[in-house]
Amino acid sequence: MIRESYRQKEENELVKASIDGDKLAFGEIVTRYQGMVARTVKGMLGDSVFAEDIGQEVFIKLFQSLSEFRGEAKLSTYIQKIAINLTLNEIKRRKRFFSMFTQSGNNKMREYMIADQNTEERKEASEIVHKALSSMDPKFRIVVIMRMLQGYSTKETAAMLDLPLGTVLSRLSRAQEQLKGILRKL
Amino acid sequence: MKASVIKELLIKSLDSDADPGDISRKLEDAGISYNFSFEFRDKVLSRISAAGSAKVRELELVKNFNYAFYRIALTGVAAIVILLISIFLMQGSLSFDSFLGLSDSYDESIICLLTGN
Repeated sequence: MIRESYRQKEENELVKASIDGDKLAFGEIVTRYQGMVARTVKGMLGDSVFAEDIGQEVFIKLFQSLSEFRGEAKLSTYIQKIAINLTLNEIKRRKRFFSMFTQSGNNKMREYMIADQNTEERKEASEIVHKALSSMDPKFRIVVIMRMLQGYSTKETAAMLDLPLGTVLSRLSRAQEQLKGILRKL
Repeated sequence: MKASVIKELLIKSLDSDADPGDISRKLEDAGISYNFSFEFRDKVLSRISAAGSAKVRELELVKNFNYAFYRIALTGVAAIVILLISIFLMQGSLSFDSFLGLSDSYDESIICLLTGN
């Protein structure tokens, strides 16, 4: 009943209430944006328990920095930027960690990815996307995820990643070439 | 959705003139969706609460230290003032030696006092 009333609330009301320490209001923000964060984090890191931890970190960081949020940008953009930064940091950290033990860090990383779809067809579709994404260079992968899974326009992707529009366009084109090569082998 | 259709859709999604919103919806319909576990929200909230109470504990510890420091410092200052007043009343003047209790002692008597000979 109480949670239902939070569902009706505007975003800025939820932000204000969260800053004042209302945990239920922040819980509603988590509910609204966890899908978006999951697409970015799991798309980049694979469907693993580590991705869930990073997802939690995203919202904890959001809670800690919520008082600095001035509302100039959308809350979704603010959350997305935190998710992108934490995910890219995690990739760098993992690369460093795995490179201490093996030369092929990327291959080892992929072993942590676990598919969770049920039906055969859905499982196959999901596996194709997982394999394609995990085989891509992270700087192309993030552009592809913003576009393909989040549904952002090229302009929005550029703003989200703090990149010039031209860079995003060239990365998309190079990512498409890379993707064609990867999908041919699958 | 067949694998070949998915592959086609993935490649098309990166075309500069493609509608990314439409493609992401189609991919979601095909089963490419990403979600966290059912209890994700509760886990986030409990981690926030745990971090909050740890911070409160830390602040309380600092507050207690500050309180203890002020109590000790004030008592110390009061003791020094009482000592100075008592020295002044007993000897009629204040000197550094009398403050340290050395007014009647010579170097040799201190050595005797310390060594016991």
